[in-house]
Amino acid sequence: MATTPELDESGRASGAGRRRDPRTIAIWTVVALVGAVSWAVLALSRGENVNAVWMIFAALGSYAIAYRFYARWIAHRVLGVDDRRATPAERLNNDIDYQPTDRRVLFGHHFAAIAGAGPLVGPVLAAQMGYLPGTIWIIAGVIFAGAVQDMVTLFFSMRRDGKSLGQMAREEIGPVGGVAALVAVFSIMIILLAVLALVVVGALARSPWGTFSIALTIPIAFFMGFYLRSLRPGRVLETSLIGIGLLILAIIAGGWVQDSSWAAAFTLSPKTLVICLVVYGFFASVLPVWMLLAPRDYLSTFLKIGTIILLAIGILVTAPVLQNDAITKFASRGDGPVFAGSLFPFVFITIACGALSGFHSLIASGTTPKMIQKESQIRMIGYGAMLTESFVAVMAMIAASIIDPGLYYAMNAPAGTVGATAQSAAAAVTNLGFTITPETLQAAATAVEEETLVARTGGAPTLAVGMSEIFSGFLGGASVKAFWYHFAIMFEALFILTTVDAGTRVGRFMLQDTIGNVWKPMRRVSWPPGVWAASAIVVGLWGYFLWTGVTNPLGGINQLFPLFGIANQLLAAVALTVCTTLLIKSGRAKYAWVTGVPLAWDAVVTLTASWQKVFSGDPKLGFFSQRERYANALDQGDVLAPAKSLDDMQAIVTNSTVDGILAAFFAILIVIVIADAIRVWYQVLSRRRPVELHEAPYEESRIVAGSGLLPTAEERARGQLVGAGAGRPGTSGDRMPPDDRPGEEPAGRP
Amino acid sequence: MTTDGLRRGVRWLHWYLREVSGESAYDRHVAHLRSGHPGASVPTRKEFERWRMDQRDSRPEARCC
Repeated sequence: MATTPELDESGRASGAGRRRDPRTIAIWTVVALVGAVSWAVLALSRGENVNAVWMIFAALGSYAIAYRFYARWIAHRVLGVDDRRATPAERLNNDIDYQPTDRRVLFGHHFAAIAGAGPLVGPVLAAQMGYLPGTIWIIAGVIFAGAVQDMVTLFFSMRRDGKSLGQMAREEIGPVGGVAALVAVFSIMIILLAVLALVVVGALARSPWGTFSIALTIPIAFFMGFYLRSLRPGRVLETSLIGIGLLILAIIAGGWVQDSSWAAAFTLSPKTLVICLVVYGFFASVLPVWMLLAPRDYLSTFLKIGTIILLAIGILVTAPVLQNDAITKFASRGDGPVFAGSLFPFVFITIACGALSGFHSLIASGTTPKMIQKESQIRMIGYGAMLTESFVAVMAMIAASIIDPGLYYAMNAPAGTVGATAQSAAAAVTNLGFTITPETLQAAATAVEEETLVARTGGAPTLAVGMSEIFSGFLGGASVKAFWYHFAIMFEALFILTTVDAGTRVGRFMLQDTIGNVWKPMRRVSWPPGVWAASAIVVGLWGYFLWTGVTNPLGGINQLFPLFGIANQLLAAVALTVCTTLLIKSGRAKYAWVTGVPLAWDAVVTLTASWQKVFSGDPKLGFFSQRERYANALDQGDVLAPAKSLDDMQAIVTNSTVDGILAAFFAILIVIVIADAIRVWYQVLSRRRPVELHEAPYEESRIVAGSGLLPTAEERARGQLVGAGAGRPGTSGDRMPPDDRPGEEPAGRP
Repeated sequence: MTTDGLRRGVRWLHWYLREVSGESAYDRHVAHLRSGHPGASVPTRKEFERWRMDQRDSRPEARCC
């Protein structure tokens, strides 16, 4: 991945006449071979134990080739990135949001913004189908769909001074597409927050250790906030270091609390946790950013990056063997306990983040395009960051696949299926066709010092068990398994809570803006009643879904996760539609397939999934047949398992109705956006409508900067010419990396 | 790795962490003012950091899943 393109003076890739270095050819041949052999091992082994390292190599080999060839081709040939053209960061530099930022720094920002719990949770759930389908989708999906979406959206937004996806949809497709995009963004936000919060509830329920450590992060964040505000303004690294120290202490202290008389106070039921999360979400989103959100963000970002690196090292060092089947019987039968439905389309719905995630288009059309120095850097930042997220998803798949399948199903099947005790769970797992004894199950829980691991759905506990297995394998041995388990829980819960806080704020702003169109005062972002009301509405909405998720006898993750996947892929459809429209409108119709094919695939997957969720006659799969089954029984006064009372029955009927309507609503939105775009494509291609592009005008760039991860010799040589002028004290020279001094500021800026 | 290479690596990491965490924003702002707006008053670090943080209040940034 470290190879950077050779650029001619114009900043474009030089043409076909370029001589190829035989060493380069040899390196890429080896990369291709390693990737191909790893894939062959993964795909062809049957009935033998496959080492997880093959998955790592298959992924890295594929990413390297995709990044070097496909991404580069898209950037230079399809999009025509032009390094002579000034980016919005350069033209509009205001030292606030528009700011030319070193590409490696921006990569870090962008990656931290796109990668959260999604790529960790989705693959864990999709492991129900076996490790192979999910892995193929994670890798092929990112190469041809996810990373393409991120990079192309980033490019078009950058050419439009960093306009948001919604604005681009409105301007380039039309008001219908624009409104649909806005509604899609708001709905996905709500479902996303509910599902993520549900993951936290699943991880913390009845776990005094986890609950105590997570609760401590609030005072830790407050302390960091005040420290940064008043004591040592701006000393972020020092503050984060203290914060991480306190965090580790909080994890260790959780173990003490669990064994003390305080344990009862921190043993919370799922329902209590919902109330805590809703209250937390409300206050966190109305408090000023510096108090809670910003310090938490520092903590969760550092913890996230550190843990991901540690996990990659851990897998390579311990080289664990995959216990999961390559493809399980649930893939074709569609009756898996974790989520209903067969491999197609549900693997592609369950794994969104890591393969194709519509949510990223919001980031790629948000802050990132306003900070890019050079157009060609979209490959490293847009495509590269998404490849990295995909790699995180592959590691999550590994973590879920190295644990005993019996334990996996005992943990991930809903309580309605596996009951509450090790005995009932062992029996249920045997029913599913796997084996685990109650003793083994209890021993697994004891090893991580949890009371039980039965029905710990949501993905986080499973991932934590897998991670503690890997970490304890090379750091500390079996005696510290419990620490690593709770470390992993902390790692996930921490950034989920940051997402909940940030997401509630974004939702609040959207709501304030929308209501503000009708009633002016709502628009004022610092008018407390408006802020509180809008926050309360947003929290109330996701809180509602969270509550139904926790109380649903059928299992919340089981019911809500498909909706979350559909919503996320809906947003991807909007982004890919905008990208395809822009390719067609800007005279690049012959390349429209680059985003058009992923769009078609995404639309087929999402619409099939919504169709099945709405119309399937199987009550496990279709929301409305589920509703009918329970409503009929309710009319007779019967109670159907897993419901235990008539109230449960009523809850199932209501939830199924709401979920079914949502699934149908999402499908209709997709159809509207695509149909509206096809109208525009037709008009443009048949020349019935003058093409109006909303691109910002060309302006010559004066910044010199590289485009890849490492500067090439050529870039370095060019950079030094400018660096000579920029090296005076107090200018950009000070903050350039020691090795690489191409000035990011134009030498002669006024 | 030579000690020189190691030292360079550590320096690079320190530079990177300062940039990524925003710790260097103040230095950058001061440089920006000095080079672009001579005569403009330079805020103290505290003033600047408060202003920068409060900016974030009005521009929420989504975090993905």
